[in-house]
Amino acid sequence: MDLFLQYLANGVVIGSTYVLVAVGLTLIFGILGVVNFAHGEFYMIGGYAGIVAITVLKLPVLPAIAFVLLVAAVVGIAAEAILHKPMKNHDATSSIISSFGLAVALQNAALVVMGPQPQRLNLDVSKIPVLSSLPTDFGPVFLPQQRLLIPLATVLLIAVLYVVLRYTWTGRGLRAMAQHATVARLCGVRVERVAIVTFITGAALAGTAGMLMSSVFFVYPIVGNMIALKAFTVVILGGMGNVAGAAVAGLLLGITESLTSAYISNAMRDIVGFVFVILVLLFRPQGLFGKAVERS
Amino acid sequence: MRVYLLALLAFAVLAVAPFGIGGYETNVLMMVLFFVILAVGLDLVTGYCGQFSFATGAFYGIGAYTAAIMTRDFGTSIWVHLPAGAIVAGLFGLLLGIPALRLKGHFLAIVTIAFQTIVYLVISQWTSFTGGQVGLPMPNAGPVTVFGVTLFEFGSLRSYYWLTLAMTALTMLVAWRLVNSRLGREWVAIRDDETLASAVGLDTTRGKLTAFVAYAALAGVAGVLTAHSLRGVTPDDYTIWISATVVAMMVVGGRGTFIGPILGAVFLAILPELLGKFAEYKMLIYGVLLVLVVTLMPEGVVGRLRARSAR
Repeated sequence: MDLFLQYLANGVVIGSTYVLVAVGLTLIFGILGVVNFAHGEFYMIGGYAGIVAITVLKLPVLPAIAFVLLVAAVVGIAAEAILHKPMKNHDATSSIISSFGLAVALQNAALVVMGPQPQRLNLDVSKIPVLSSLPTDFGPVFLPQQRLLIPLATVLLIAVLYVVLRYTWTGRGLRAMAQHATVARLCGVRVERVAIVTFITGAALAGTAGMLMSSVFFVYPIVGNMIALKAFTVVILGGMGNVAGAAVAGLLLGITESLTSAYISNAMRDIVGFVFVILVLLFRPQGLFGKAVERS
Repeated sequence: MRVYLLALLAFAVLAVAPFGIGGYETNVLMMVLFFVILAVGLDLVTGYCGQFSFATGAFYGIGAYTAAIMTRDFGTSIWVHLPAGAIVAGLFGLLLGIPALRLKGHFLAIVTIAFQTIVYLVISQWTSFTGGQVGLPMPNAGPVTVFGVTLFEFGSLRSYYWLTLAMTALTMLVAWRLVNSRLGREWVAIRDDETLASAVGLDTTRGKLTAFVAYAALAGVAGVLTAHSLRGVTPDDYTIWISATVVAMMVVGGRGTFIGPILGAVFLAILPELLGKFAEYKMLIYGVLLVLVVTLMPEGVVGRLRARSAR
């Protein structure tokens, strides 16, 4: 039973990462209709940006986070210019191949620039003011502060996102676009700006996840492959375009994987999510929490 | 008629080519032919029938592992493996075709990527059956005998090359017959407007499933040939990178133009050899090419040329 709680906690940590990556992915799909196969690369770039900021530039933690966010913003703007802007007059499926190409290009660019060896971020938690004073033992569960930081940051970021979407004009614009792009444009929503903001948000969330995870797991050029696939799994389970659904499904997937690897077999861990996704797509294509909406 | 003559001439040149070039060049040509088979197959399902698949590497691997596992467990020969690989891969194609009946565009793309990943995870993790990360070795295909008389001995590079060339010709012939048949025109109808296709009474279920089976079976044949000529299989030869490469070949050449994916495969398979020491940038170049071609001329090079000459 004690071990069960530990597995559960590990699942929540991994699941939080899935949530951060998947929420951006589902936003980009829901608002712009772009299926971004390069989303895992936002995560990978975030991880490398964190390593560059802390190991190479020797920045303290907060400026390092600002650096990662800045890099993510640039990546988001570039991705919008490649995957969304020129595709307006193409059929909707062109962006699938284009983002697939972008993912391949970014992974191999990372291979050339950063090399194939897996790298890790040495995050010295004792220098982070609040975090270093947090406990690491919760009854039978042990969580080092690097790991504890991940769910905490996820809760914070998702809360900020919720407030922005709910109460600001930008957020209203985003939600209006998600409901009906043409009507939103007629009502004065600046579609180009919304597109850029959406991509920046997605890249920033995934980039932060990449940075946080790089102090726990290794970063390597193709690390985004698996993460992106997991995020797609989460997006489909939660319902395409459904932010709250993605948050719940992300945590569920993390926990399921952790328990599968503990009680069934470690080799099954990565397969279990994909089996789920194929089943869900076959029997409930609108997702576990989604409403059936006919999209033409 | 001119097309047939040109194709015949090209195959004649390719057939005598091993006498004029070295072993390395023969190997490169053989690899180009594998990719031609894969690209022609993918064009059937994506170019003609309009169904996305990023799982070419999976079917390619299923064909290769069918040959390797049958060699290990039954000691059968390549002549058994070629149809067996096509059938096993075709059955998996049928399996992947079933979700395609209900899903479109991006949903289908995600399912094919998930399928590719599952196949890779299975062949790299199920060590007792597939040899795991190390893969499986394979002996030479052995002598070809008819009524006890040895016709020729398999083993030399050239024999594999000629077999591959013959299978490539067969593949192209089959694909050409398919796309010009009633079935091929049904595929195009499904691609252009599925609702309309079913409204005029076409069986879209049959159309999509046959396209997936044909595509998967061709990739399976390429896999059997590859496994035998490389003398073994390792999981890393059948990853999503292969799928990405073949998608790039098809898109750059021109989807649904028949000759486009063939030219794309030849061009992109030879490109790394020409790049020499820059070959490590191969996948980077493929990625950038994909983005550029989809953005600037989504119909591909051959598609663009045809549209221009039609004007």
